[in-house]
Amino acid sequence: MAILEVHDLRKEYGGFTAVEGSSFEIERGEVFGVVGPNGAGKTTTLKMLAGLIEPTGGTAVVAGHTPGEPAMQRRLGFLPEESPLYEEMTAIDYLEFFADLYDVPADVARERIHDSLERLDLEHRDRRIGNMSKGMQRKVAIARALVNDPDVLIFDEPASGLDPLTTNYIIEFTRELSEDGKTIVFSAHNLFHVESICDRIVIMNDGRIVARGTLEEIRDAHGGTEYHVYATDDGSAGLDGTAGPLEVTRENGQVRHVVADMAAVDAVRDAVEAAGGRVTDIQTETPSLEEIFLEVASEPAEESEA
Amino acid sequence: MSDGRLRGIVARLRLFGRHLRGVATRTARIARWEVSRSVGTVDRKTALVLVVMALAISTTGFTAAGDGLGLEREIYVVGVDEDSRYHDVAVDSEQFRPVSLSEIEAESGGDANADSVTIRGDASVDVVVTRDGRIGHTGDNGEAAYDTFRGAVEEYNAKLMDAEDDQSAAYPVLVSLEYQQRDLAGSSESGANDGGETDGSETGTEDGTGGGGDGAGGGADRSGGDEPATGGGTDGTGGGDGPLQVPNVGDGSTASTAPGTPGSIAPPFPFQSLVLAFLFVVPMNFVIQAYGSTIMDERVKRRGELLLVSPVSRYEIVAGKTLPYLLGLIGIVVAITIAIRGGPIAVAAALPIALLFLAATFAGAMLARSFKELTFVTVTISVVLTTYTFIPAIFTDVHSIALISPLTLVVTDLQDGSIRLGEYLFSTGPFYLCAAVLFLLGIGVYREEDMFAQKPIPTKVVDAIASRIRGRRSVFVLSILFIPFVFAGQLLAVALLFALPESFAVPVIIVVAAALEEVAKSVHVYAGFARSRFDATLRTAAVLGALSGTGFFVGEKVTHVVQFVGLPDLSVGAAAFGPAVSSDPLILVAVFLAPLALHVATAVCSAVGASRGRTGYAAGFLAATLVHAAYNLGVILLVA
Amino acid sequence: MLALAIQLFIAAFSSFLVVGLVSLYDPGSVDGYQTDVAVTGDDTLLSVANQRDGVSAQRYDDRAAAYEAFETGAVSAVLDANRNDDGRLSVRVTAPEEGLQTTLLVVQLRDTLEHVERVERQQNAASGRLEQSPVPVPSEVQASPYAGFTYTILLPLLCFLPVFISGSIVVDSLIEERQRGTLELLRVAPLSLADVIDAKLLAIAALAPLQAIAWLFLLTANGTSIAGPAALVVLVAALSLLVVSVGVAIALWAPDRRQSQLLYSVATVGALVVATILPEHPANTVAKFAIGNPTGTTWALLAGYCLLAIGAFVALRRWLGRLEPDSL
Repeated sequence: MAILEVHDLRKEYGGFTAVEGSSFEIERGEVFGVVGPNGAGKTTTLKMLAGLIEPTGGTAVVAGHTPGEPAMQRRLGFLPEESPLYEEMTAIDYLEFFADLYDVPADVARERIHDSLERLDLEHRDRRIGNMSKGMQRKVAIARALVNDPDVLIFDEPASGLDPLTTNYIIEFTRELSEDGKTIVFSAHNLFHVESICDRIVIMNDGRIVARGTLEEIRDAHGGTEYHVYATDDGSAGLDGTAGPLEVTRENGQVRHVVADMAAVDAVRDAVEAAGGRVTDIQTETPSLEEIFLEVASEPAEESEA
Repeated sequence: MSDGRLRGIVARLRLFGRHLRGVATRTARIARWEVSRSVGTVDRKTALVLVVMALAISTTGFTAAGDGLGLEREIYVVGVDEDSRYHDVAVDSEQFRPVSLSEIEAESGGDANADSVTIRGDASVDVVVTRDGRIGHTGDNGEAAYDTFRGAVEEYNAKLMDAEDDQSAAYPVLVSLEYQQRDLAGSSESGANDGGETDGSETGTEDGTGGGGDGAGGGADRSGGDEPATGGGTDGTGGGDGPLQVPNVGDGSTASTAPGTPGSIAPPFPFQSLVLAFLFVVPMNFVIQAYGSTIMDERVKRRGELLLVSPVSRYEIVAGKTLPYLLGLIGIVVAITIAIRGGPIAVAAALPIALLFLAATFAGAMLARSFKELTFVTVTISVVLTTYTFIPAIFTDVHSIALISPLTLVVTDLQDGSIRLGEYLFSTGPFYLCAAVLFLLGIGVYREEDMFAQKPIPTKVVDAIASRIRGRRSVFVLSILFIPFVFAGQLLAVALLFALPESFAVPVIIVVAAALEEVAKSVHVYAGFARSRFDATLRTAAVLGALSGTGFFVGEKVTHVVQFVGLPDLSVGAAAFGPAVSSDPLILVAVFLAPLALHVATAVCSAVGASRGRTGYAAGFLAATLVHAAYNLGVILLVA
Repeated sequence: MLALAIQLFIAAFSSFLVVGLVSLYDPGSVDGYQTDVAVTGDDTLLSVANQRDGVSAQRYDDRAAAYEAFETGAVSAVLDANRNDDGRLSVRVTAPEEGLQTTLLVVQLRDTLEHVERVERQQNAASGRLEQSPVPVPSEVQASPYAGFTYTILLPLLCFLPVFISGSIVVDSLIEERQRGTLELLRVAPLSLADVIDAKLLAIAALAPLQAIAWLFLLTANGTSIAGPAALVVLVAALSLLVVSVGVAIALWAPDRRQSQLLYSVATVGALVVATILPEHPANTVAKFAIGNPTGTTWALLAGYCLLAIGAFVALRRWLGRLEPDSL
């Protein structure tokens, strides 16, 4: 059974629609990515899941409860894009205060905080948060999200604005959390991270989900794997109409035929050889999420479940 | 079966108990955190500097306490020769600096003249004592200086007399003052029937206006003095005072003071108690600064977001953040009460003031966009609430209108007067209600969507109100909830226009009162339309207007009943149902229902405007106010 | 604009308070108020009372008749006077419980009885029972009871409030810039920190004397004569420069808004308290200049404030010169 179910979730601000009929399910232990350009409705969606924003319509069930119910909030760890910390507190005081709010017994809390900070490699625990570097502050924020040992973690851009080293550290830590069995909803601009740790993703644009599934599924649906057939220039002249390559380009005295599947590769090879040419090379090209993302984001929304 | 049901009830009760306990612990946690965090913000060097400053202030404060601030020291100059007895007076008094006559005399002015002094053109002198002891004054401030000098002479004499051995010769007159109730036939009746109550037939909140009428009358009287009172029972203080509150000396019908010198007679004016009562309000003005800051802090940089995502509800967060400040204020109030020997009533009366200060600051801090705006908001709150609580209290023993401020209860308590439950409810009720409504509106926008957004204050106000609208019924309820504000606003207008001439004050009050009521009846309707809570159709507008008007009418009548039950002898309460115009039930019904028709009609008018956007609302509101004001004026003219 | 609105509020409020308080504290200043009182017992009271305006005393031989007249409203109060064994006049005043009326009445009676007291005293002094005869009290005049308040409280308030608020503005705006990090940007700008802050400081400090001038004009228009407006404006300008300089220093030194505002308020309020050890409190200085009775001390203090302000400004500039924008 899915630990997180979203059905037709909508949010309108006055006349403006921020999220329009999102639906998806997330299984326990999954790392689920939400990607999309700025203003696509990612943060609004995540905040609706976290119980911060009341949806205009639709339903969401997180860990068996509606977002906003205390019982659900207890099982949730939320990391907002900007970590709004109380700068005048020390890291340890801050974390213990939040543990207290989640009714975590003091000794358990101490152990858990110690453990998290250890894993996050955070020193200077008695320093005021205001005097910490951005990366350290982000680590404190992550430790705070873990203070109640939540089942579901919602990370909104956990690595935005950090240096590459810290970013990698945080991505690795997220992977570890997922290995611990946590369900993680993850949004990011940096698609490389999404690609490297997410089991499934949705791509949002203009408040709608425009693509969904595992990376492979999305690749298949949006361009999928392409085969580049390189042939000598002489035999390809009359080829365009027959074997149906997606694209034909000339470069370095060679002709490149881009086709979608193996059957088309064979057809192109046959056609080239029939014309007296020779196939010099065949390459498989897998599009990155980045490319799919750019492609999808520039298209009008094609999927609507409203 | 019944056993099972009983068990069910017990289980549910236990659950509820656990829930309550949960709420209490979570609130307490937030409160504890708020305290430790606020203390934590002051770092060591700041604390050190503060301590040094506090020490410096307290040491000099103590040394200066003996001879006062010296604000009036030697502000006037008296020309007097050293051999005159008045020279001693001048030296002895704080306000005067003596100069010898030769210093100020013109050269040409004859020197030996005993009864006149010619003053040099460039000499600055306010009071002149001639060589034969006659006293004159000169210059712009001469009269004031002369009057002050007269007081100084009296003080000097008192000092001389205190030094005398034969005290019965020094103070040859002993006075005991005795207040006695007397029943002058018809006097109170005639007072109650001429003018002030006319609009009482229409609305109770306009009793404030009625009060304003006679208040302004009283004010005009005092400054103009055109209508000398002639002993007797007939009222010299303008029309329609209604029964006045008796001077509060003890609670019996007669009271007398112990014999003393004439100078010790205090008119029944609670100056000292008033100043002491002011002490209650002063710390509130400081505490709300800190409170506003901490609420604002949650809003800048989205810091409060993580609290909202925790299992703590926003009500608990707000309660927790407010509690330390409320408790702090109560602590201060209790300390002051003990210091000035007040009773528990004083604390009970100061509590709603503290609550309202905090509630208004909370709502303001939820609306402000920057700390600068917050400063403006808190200063506005300080000034408005201090005025509202303090000004009426001045009239504690003079006029029942004073009861609109809980501070009056403090003053009464300090004078050892007794306070009935009805009076307590009357003066604190609006404060409790206003505080509750403001907290509710503030908590309405204490959520992710609103609290971090940088919208202009008016937009946020509309948001806050709209967040409380759930269906048409809310319109009815909100109209009722806004009544305390209308009441307070109208009374504040009365208090502020009190001193102006009646011919100016009365029309202004009529229009202001009408406008306030129209705002209360229409602002939530507008908010509903503006935030698309309702369809902008004519039909909806008419229905909402009718609901709003009826709600307001019902609320008003409820407050009347409360007043009538709680304060049967208070003119404000008695006037609520209007003078007994006629025994004809038909007319009575008409008199009763006319305001209903008015409220509904004007509310529909502004609601229809509101459904047409902002300009439409402005036009509708203007029309409604004019109709309302015209109606009020008509009623006054008709009855008077 | 905000600052002006705030001050308008406070000034309106305080002047209203003053007028309200004074007119109530001194209800006797009401003109033409005439009281009929009944006098029984000793006759001394009657003759003295009738010499005075506002009170007309009637003689009732019969005590009961006097109280009856009181009950019916023919007289407002009964004064029952009896002479003690030691020659004291013991007066029992019976006044009605009628609110404001009674307030006025009691004030009248108090004045009358004090007059009686003076007359009696004079007789005692003449008969040698007193070692020192009291100084004759000058006759009454109609004087505005507001004058003292206006010069010693309202005017100083109007002069100091703009100063206080200017300082508050400078603290707020510098703290805001520090938090936003705009001051850090100065590192790359051709301007120095001192230049930027100077401009800000002087602009804000100039606000206070301008407002003071406006207030002085308003007061003059309302009939309060100001004898030394120029001196007052100089005084306000000096204090403004001083307070704003201190405000700048606090805003750059304290770690956050709450602390700097706290320090600033405590410092200014504290300064007003500590100023009592001066030979003249600044408020008193203002009053003296306004009334037109400045002494040598007053002028010396004015010069002292000017020097202090310039000194504070120079010191601040030096400190700013050494301060690195990075450290903010």
